Amino acid sequence: MADITIDHLHKEFGLGADKVVALEDVNLSIGGHAFVSVVGPSGCGKSTLLNILSGIDVPTSGRVSITQDGRPARAGYVFQAARLLPWRSVMDNMLFVQKDRNEATRKRCQHYLEMVQLGDKGSKYPGELSGGMQQRVGIARAFSTEPDVLFMDEPFSHLDAITARTLRKELHTIWAETGKTVVFVTHDVGEAVELSNRILVFAKGGRLADDIDVKLPFPRDVADSDVALMKADVFKTFENLGAMAVT
Amino acid sequence: MSSMTLSPRRVWRWASHSSLLGRLLFPVVCLLIWLVSIKAVTTIWPFAVDVLPTPWQVVEFMWDEITCHTLAPHNMYVTFGISLQRLAIGMAIAMVIGIVIGLAMGLSKAVDAFFNDWVVAILAMPNLAWALFCSLAFGFGDTGPIITVVLTGVPFVIMNVREGVRNTPTDLFDMARAFGVPRRRVIRQVLIPSLLPFLFAAARYAFALGWKGLVVAEVFGGQDGAGWTIKFWYDAHRAYGVIGYALLFVIFALVFEKFMFDQLSKRLFKWRPSLDAVEVVEEQFDAPTKASVGAAAGASTATGAALGSITMVTSGRPQSVDDELKPPED
Repeated sequence: MADITIDHLHKEFGLGADKVVALEDVNLSIGGHAFVSVVGPSGCGKSTLLNILSGIDVPTSGRVSITQDGRPARAGYVFQAARLLPWRSVMDNMLFVQKDRNEATRKRCQHYLEMVQLGDKGSKYPGELSGGMQQRVGIARAFSTEPDVLFMDEPFSHLDAITARTLRKELHTIWAETGKTVVFVTHDVGEAVELSNRILVFAKGGRLADDIDVKLPFPRDVADSDVALMKADVFKTFENLGAMAVT
Repeated sequence: MSSMTLSPRRVWRWASHSSLLGRLLFPVVCLLIWLVSIKAVTTIWPFAVDVLPTPWQVVEFMWDEITCHTLAPHNMYVTFGISLQRLAIGMAIAMVIGIVIGLAMGLSKAVDAFFNDWVVAILAMPNLAWALFCSLAFGFGDTGPIITVVLTGVPFVIMNVREGVRNTPTDLFDMARAFGVPRRRVIRQVLIPSLLPFLFAAARYAFALGWKGLVVAEVFGGQDGAGWTIKFWYDAHRAYGVIGYALLFVIFALVFEKFMFDQLSKRLFKWRPSLDAVEVVEEQFDAPTKASVGAAAGASTATGAALGSITMVTSGRPQSVDDELKPPED
């Protein structure tokens, strides 16, 4: 289980009059078997936060450290789109992100493909799979590196409602079984309440506005009254911020 | 199932909707026009018999060439071999120069600005001008035709490679960075495969247009080769020779295109989902995605667009030719 420390993180894009502040003085500490959702309106800097955490982007100032028992933690990333190499088979896509490629690695990849119920699709090209299946390969790929921490950027937002629901259930099961730390960016408050045990609410301008602990028992269903109440609570937080999300 | 009989209406419907029939009809119509116009012209001006070849003369000439009974200094296989060798050398040089300049133009705005106007200018230059210039500059021999091929091909290679560099998949590079994939593996498995369709398109263009440039150059600056041999028949005042040799040349180029580029394309790009070959492995609730797979196959990627347009230019036929060969089933 990884420990994420974010210290006075600041990020801005552009210069002079075009300057946009994406993240403003964010201080956070995430640790343990946590499923942390980051919610907020479009342009509140949630994806930027994730990109900085995963090393795709660098902060303007401030410090981020992700450690696992004192050493740098390994990270996996699930993107909004699957981002598979179209010219490589599903299995080769899994192997692409592995440190070394031996029989054990191959077995591990196969194991995670089976976890997302695509065990027999290793030799297919991504173009031969449906969007939902590609996204599942993306999830399996992220887990297959056995990361200490998993970053997910709206992984279900491009899918239809039913596929998304199935994948959410699968994700929860995998998270419960493997005990990873997950940082999950979403604009869907219901999804956040259903999956996470902590919700970070960001406001426009990249400010961390609220930090909510979700103590409801799993498994949760959007139809449960507790979940619905919690969802309403989070929405109220948004309204108080005057930064109502477009969900 | 009872309406499977061949009623005239059905036959008419099939005939008017079948592109196969249309395709087969074309040469027949051409042949008719050819015969009729010979008849018409020779009635008005009887001496024209000497210059207007009949289809049978042309076919007979082509058969003689194919069976190596030729009056030209080399038989057709040697001739095309010589031309092909020049084309290959010219294309190789064009690819190397084009890739270097194209990469530089794609990566740097300054280099792009430096070359851009000139690439467009070279592109607009008729290859007849190159051929004349090269035969003046380099005299008779191999050099002139080869340089013509290079000059004809280079702008296409440059433009395609530049386009390829501009369309590199940044999302995949970000993905590789997020997972900490080593640089060498990223170059081998992301960068090169993403450029490959553009290189392939460039080679295809250079081949199709290089051929034409080459033949013109050989007419003026060659001592052998396909272009020179067409001119040989022209000098010998044999119209059937000129037409027959040109047809042989077209056949040769098409066969080459078909067997080399189509096969290579199938091997290199077997990952691209072709519209009719998408294996349906969907869950039942996942219907809309099939359309997106189809779109991804064709136009949504610049790669697809680049390849698609090239295929149209060089072979002049749509991709889904197999569908058209089947008669309608209703």
